[in-house]
Amino acid sequence: MLELYDQIQAAAAAIRAQWDHKPLAGVILGTGLGNLAAEIKDPVAIEYPDIPHFPRSTATSHRGRLVCGTLAGQPIVAMEGRFHQYEGYPLKQITLPVRVFKALGAELLIVSQAVGGMNPHYQSGDVMIIDDQINLMGDNPLIGVNDDRLGPRFPDMCAPYTPELIDAGLEIARQENFVAHRGVTVAVTGPNLETRAEYRFLRGIGADVVGMSTVPEVIVAVHSAMRVFGLSVVTDMCLPDALKPANVEEIIAVANSAEWKLRALVLGILQYEADRARS
Amino acid sequence: MLHLAEQIDAAAAIVRSQWAERPVAGIILGSGLGGLAREIDAAAKIDYAELPHFPRSTAVGHAGRLVCGTLAGRPVVAFQGRFHLYEGWTAEQASLPVRLAKALGAGGLIVSNAAGGLNPLYRVGDVMLIDDQINLMFANPLIGVNDDDLGPRFPDMCAPYDRQLQEVAMAAALEHRFVLHRGVYVGMLGPTYETRAEYRMCRRLGGDAVGMSTVPEVVAAVHAGMRVAGVSTITNAGTADALDETDHSAVTQIAGAAAERLGVITRAILQAL
Repeated sequence: MLELYDQIQAAAAAIRAQWDHKPLAGVILGTGLGNLAAEIKDPVAIEYPDIPHFPRSTATSHRGRLVCGTLAGQPIVAMEGRFHQYEGYPLKQITLPVRVFKALGAELLIVSQAVGGMNPHYQSGDVMIIDDQINLMGDNPLIGVNDDRLGPRFPDMCAPYTPELIDAGLEIARQENFVAHRGVTVAVTGPNLETRAEYRFLRGIGADVVGMSTVPEVIVAVHSAMRVFGLSVVTDMCLPDALKPANVEEIIAVANSAEWKLRALVLGILQYEADRARS
Repeated sequence: MLHLAEQIDAAAAIVRSQWAERPVAGIILGSGLGGLAREIDAAAKIDYAELPHFPRSTAVGHAGRLVCGTLAGRPVVAFQGRFHLYEGWTAEQASLPVRLAKALGAGGLIVSNAAGGLNPLYRVGDVMLIDDQINLMFANPLIGVNDDDLGPRFPDMCAPYDRQLQEVAMAAALEHRFVLHRGVYVGMLGPTYETRAEYRMCRRLGGDAVGMSTVPEVVAAVHAGMRVAGVSTITNAGTADALDETDHSAVTQIAGAAAERLGVITRAILQAL
């Protein structure tokens, strides 16, 4: 764990050598939000292999580069393509980019993910602002000797997603006139989708949506004392008693069709944070 | 797994060279309860660093040594400091103290821990006798080739915590007039404290208290055929809908305040073993 600190510094230095600004936020662009990277002004794109200790993205619909620049007029670093536990990466490596965001000076993490909807009031294509999470990945990125320079041994998790930003996100959705739910995401390892019995189980323990990412990154963001705003786009409904086979192309198509909502939320939250920083 | 028996024998030989008695029980002192070790009439104190194959305790509030001696007139080995999965140890390493106590001849195991309360009737500072456990640690100390000399391939878990010892503990609490709940302990990996959603999950699954230890040790103790008694001190109330921040120094302090009641329970159980 102690060598992690040096890895973070090395990765941050490599990024600073090409883009020397303090970002307002680090943004992880999940499935369906990839096009937002094209809107980043004055972009400096750095391929993951050019950043020391960064893994390479192998997932479908995920590229593998960091785009630094301005979005909504604010300096940000965005991950186009993220890393998943099911790709075989340890959680410490998956979450390295979040540590690097923090090292670059970002105090906010914005993270998005494609999920299966289990709450029967949700519909395919809906957006859920994440209120809370359940870690069922069987692992934790903070296992091992704690490096007190990075955060506390036992991080409190009573509000991993910043409540103020959840409210701000819901307000943005009302202004833009689209539905945004507020709910609980549960993370499993994947890569197989869940069985009907597993959906019943996950719904039973209190989750509204299920995904294969985000939870490790948010744990590390909380450990790093960052503010967190999390978004889920419901790409298919997973109602155990009316379950159809999942189709990856369809999932990506739904994610893309919901992109305008995610875009409005991300840009709106960046503006909100910029106003807050100024006041 | 066969290698494990050699590790245990090597550690046991070191202990025996300094303390030749046969303990009735191994005692694992959890967060803030290390003070009970002071009540032991110690004949030998051995740092974990002196024990071959023993991991070193990295957790705050855990000293990392073995205290051999007598408590309530009974020979015991007490482990001041335990090994947690969140420190990066395997479940097998976490249960090494239990294996060592058994190798020294202990038939009983007394474990204590600091836990978050899930049952809404519990108050911070209350003590809960563990009746049963749920393993949500995604790990089991018995995974691998089974060493039949240490225990069976498929240990029965219908009563991991000895029922007779539970009655002894309940009677001692009644006699000394303090509240002793009896409930189910959920073991999670940590080191993050639980989210509100995770507290709700653990409650829905049937847990009364949740923590980051004990479960691997008790699995190994059942495997080893030991009689187990377990006590949780409720150091924070994990009531999901009115959740306060959990602070580790407060947890340690509250656990310390329960030390006297844990002492009563421990002495009564030692008399019964």
